[in-house]
Amino acid sequence: MVARAPASQQPPEQTDERLLVEAAQKDPARFADLYEIHFERVYAFIARRVGDRDAAEDLTSDVFHKALANLKRFEWRGVPFGAWLLRIAVNAIVDRSKRHGREIAVDDPPELSTRPGLQQVEDRARLFRLVDELPKNQRHVVVMRFAEQKSIREIAQHLKRSEGAIKQLQFRGLENLRDRFEVLKGDRPKKNVTTKKEKKKSGGRNG
Amino acid sequence: MAKPSRFEELDQAVTGVLLHPDAPLPADPRLAPLARIAAELTSLPRPAFRARLKSDLERNAPMVTLKESTKHEEAKQPAVNPIPQGYRTVTPYIVAENADGLIEFLKNTFGAEEKLRAIGPAGGRHADLRIEDSALMVGGGGAGLAWKGKPIPSAFHIYVPDCDAVYQRALQQGATSITEPADQPYGERSAGIKDAAGNHWYIATYKGPNYKWEGAPTVQPYMHPLRAGPVMTFLKQAFGAQELGRHASPDGVIHHLMLKIGDSFMEMGEAQGPYQPMPAMYYLYVPDCDAAYQRALQAGATSLSEPADQPYGDRNAGVKDAFGNQWYIATHVKDVAPGQ
Repeated sequence: MVARAPASQQPPEQTDERLLVEAAQKDPARFADLYEIHFERVYAFIARRVGDRDAAEDLTSDVFHKALANLKRFEWRGVPFGAWLLRIAVNAIVDRSKRHGREIAVDDPPELSTRPGLQQVEDRARLFRLVDELPKNQRHVVVMRFAEQKSIREIAQHLKRSEGAIKQLQFRGLENLRDRFEVLKGDRPKKNVTTKKEKKKSGGRNG
Repeated sequence: MAKPSRFEELDQAVTGVLLHPDAPLPADPRLAPLARIAAELTSLPRPAFRARLKSDLERNAPMVTLKESTKHEEAKQPAVNPIPQGYRTVTPYIVAENADGLIEFLKNTFGAEEKLRAIGPAGGRHADLRIEDSALMVGGGGAGLAWKGKPIPSAFHIYVPDCDAVYQRALQQGATSITEPADQPYGERSAGIKDAAGNHWYIATYKGPNYKWEGAPTVQPYMHPLRAGPVMTFLKQAFGAQELGRHASPDGVIHHLMLKIGDSFMEMGEAQGPYQPMPAMYYLYVPDCDAAYQRALQAGATSLSEPADQPYGDRNAGVKDAFGNQWYIATHVKDVAPGQ
């Protein structure tokens, strides 16, 4: 099984991905490798359209379960595996909106990164993966604040730190994410970003 | 009045973004880019969800293989999911002389939820419980029950939001202390208690964004064999267990070993001090009960019961490994009404 792909890596080349898909088609236990690569992208795509967190989780779960069950049917015809997953996601969102009696506008995702909406999804997925690369304390605060929607006070109580310290970690975490994201997008040279190692050397307490 | 710090100012912007993700971002050029990042993060997925979905997919992967391999053998096609909803591969089965008393203890101490309480074929109690995401089975005797048997206590690592509070609650419920709450070098605060039925509970709160590490189940079975190596070898051969890591002292004693069977985590620490071998009982869901039973026998287990269809919808068989643990290997073959 591959480790969770760091955000600084570009999505794998199609040939690599093709090998992963073929491996998973032979041995479904290898589907976990594809999940690691595509989870953030699928989740970001769905969350952007449905807003509600519980619904986004249900639909993401639905997409990956369907993909696993139908993996043998996926054929390489020049369409990336990620686009196939987003196609399943579109269908799942449309089905859900029909069940709830609502009309919903959903982009058609034939190719990744070719439409502005999809580029935004791709950026957001990269940002989500970057959270994993933050120094531990900043990561904890960012995850609790945004993913778990906890208040500063709740986070301070949980981590046994002052509210001021948590706000500072939140600031550093967001600053760090902005810097890393700009490097990733090529808007900023890499040397301007403080890595965990450099921070340690300079004695930064809030990591 | 002092000017708020930039940390404070950013937090006000973040709070606004969390309440109204589409609200205009602050005009301050120092804060606006960070608030923009914050707005993107309002849909950051929960790590626990990511880990749970991965675990569900890993659990379902063998079913996909099973489906494929039996595509041309319609008679063998399972009509239902071989692992019933709400269960993982391994479910610990505690046998207690006072099963009803133990159930009350688990409810009052850990907030266990009772899913089923019935009388089993041997006249004893059978109960299905759930502690958050983890299933647990309890059997044995109780007031007015005809059950006569031997208790089989076990050991568990259980994650709770507040280790100290749950430790105190356990003592109030009649447990005795093994170790008082203390911060551990591996990033947990933990304590140990022994309940009236003899089970060990290692109560822990993980020091991280959540009270358990990403992907951890609430309850993990914990073994204390004399030697961990041979047990691990058996579990690998019989049930395809994977060793995830071990911590041994220079004299070779394995203090901690983490393993996974299917989608279930288990732990081991070789016997020492108050932690002596407690051969336990486990209910193990697999895609093919008959094949797993044969593999267990080949790996050195002895048979307790051959594979047979049970009235509650499982096909199961029993084996005892060389270390005294009993494994009831099951495949869910038919859905039946609860309580049957």
